[in-house]
Amino acid sequence: MKLIESIKKDFNTMTLVLIPVAIAINIAVGQLVFVLKLPIYLDSIGTVLVGALAGPWAALVTGALANIIWGLTLAPTSMPFFYVAAVIGVMAGYAGRLGLFKRSSPRWLSVLVGGIFFFALTLFILSFVSASRSPEGIIPNAVDLVRQYALVFILTTVVGLAVGYFLLMRAGYAGLAGLVTGLVAAVISAPTAAIVFGGVTGAGTDLLVAAFRASGANILASTLAQGTVSDPFDKMVSFLIVWVIVQSLPARFKIR
Amino acid sequence: MSTALTLYIDRNSRLHVLNPLTKVALTATLLTAGFALPEGWISYSIVLLIVVPLSALGRVWRQLVKATWKIVLPFAVSVFLIQGLFWGSGTPLFSIGSLSFKLEGISFAFLSVGRILLVVSVFMLFALTTRPDTLMLALTHIGLPGSFTYIVVTAIQIAPRFQARAATIVEAQRSRGLETEGNIFRRARALLPLVMPLVLSSLVDVEERAIAIEARAFNSSQPKTSLIKIPDSRGESITRWMFLLLMALAIGYRVIAKN
Repeated sequence: MKLIESIKKDFNTMTLVLIPVAIAINIAVGQLVFVLKLPIYLDSIGTVLVGALAGPWAALVTGALANIIWGLTLAPTSMPFFYVAAVIGVMAGYAGRLGLFKRSSPRWLSVLVGGIFFFALTLFILSFVSASRSPEGIIPNAVDLVRQYALVFILTTVVGLAVGYFLLMRAGYAGLAGLVTGLVAAVISAPTAAIVFGGVTGAGTDLLVAAFRASGANILASTLAQGTVSDPFDKMVSFLIVWVIVQSLPARFKIR
Repeated sequence: MSTALTLYIDRNSRLHVLNPLTKVALTATLLTAGFALPEGWISYSIVLLIVVPLSALGRVWRQLVKATWKIVLPFAVSVFLIQGLFWGSGTPLFSIGSLSFKLEGISFAFLSVGRILLVVSVFMLFALTTRPDTLMLALTHIGLPGSFTYIVVTAIQIAPRFQARAATIVEAQRSRGLETEGNIFRRARALLPLVMPLVLSSLVDVEERAIAIEARAFNSSQPKTSLIKIPDSRGESITRWMFLLLMALAIGYRVIAKN
């Protein structure tokens, strides 16, 4: 019963009107990114915004329907990934309920978030790539991995610290939520990408897939690696932009 | 700039006048069959022997072939290069320099391209011959809440306006001296001044829209009448059940063949 009440609470007339507007925002921002020729999707800003303003269930509907509409009107290839967009919405909604889009973080925390997350992401990618490379599928010892790829770890952690300081700035909480959401999105979309699309996207990030395949990783691991490299950054930027939007909204939009 | 956001092409054909639910069932059956039956050539035969002839019946085969080709080609090139060249250990077929195409990789790529082709062409066939609003209305008739229809139809209607608004904002900010070209950092810095006005201006009219639909009894629980009539016949209803049966058979075949 609690679940049904929570769902009902999410949908009032305002929310219902907000959802198609958010879907149109997703599409229009995609066009801005295209004009600026940025190597990033940013196709879920509207979905994340609904999550921040109206909660997880409304954002779930927004994400799923946005992909289905994309599929019906612009690109049929986005249809199979509608469940990923729905999960992104739910996660953004819970981040919103926790107040992560309203809260500002101290800058040192953002630096810490960036550094730790990029370190953990490197560890995650390298361990499953090595595991899929070894014939027995053994996940290597973390300490050995860090020692073996010390330079890679130092490099990514420094990039992470810089991202935290220069990009996240005072949006450390929202940024962290975005990074985690991106990781989850990468993990749940990889099986579909591997089974339906042979592990490729037909775009520039396929160079990453090729690199991981060449290093001996299997198809699922390469697809996952490609996703975990590009998705967390993409969702972090989306959450960051929504954080900026929420900060500058008039107070009556933020009552819920 | 603001061309209508739809793939639908208005034609007078026997495929167009079918009930959208029948076409949903057809789409689902073709996809299930393609993925449940494991042999690589199955999806190619479904595309060549069923999807393309149906698109000819719907008088949209030219558009279907062209759009499918445009979407599938980059995937196909990518799959053949990546999976063909970097298949871990396999039988080399022929070599280019130090790299060689492996038999296993090529056959995997063949299977994958077939699936991509199937997914894209089947969705294309559906989208080219089905109006989104009649689809949503048909779904409402079988119990989908009316708010879903509102969301989908409104989103499709306002998206072109939003794209036009985005283009206007780009022009306006450029005229104020915002640099939208140059190196990647400069272009990335232009993102926020473009996204913010777009989102904030669109949130402003959300409240007005809410009042407008409430004033038109959107939340009323009384049954609503519709301007569009959706044709349906006994034959079509039977066809839909047959499609469901075929889907169950394909899945059943897959489960038994696996054990």
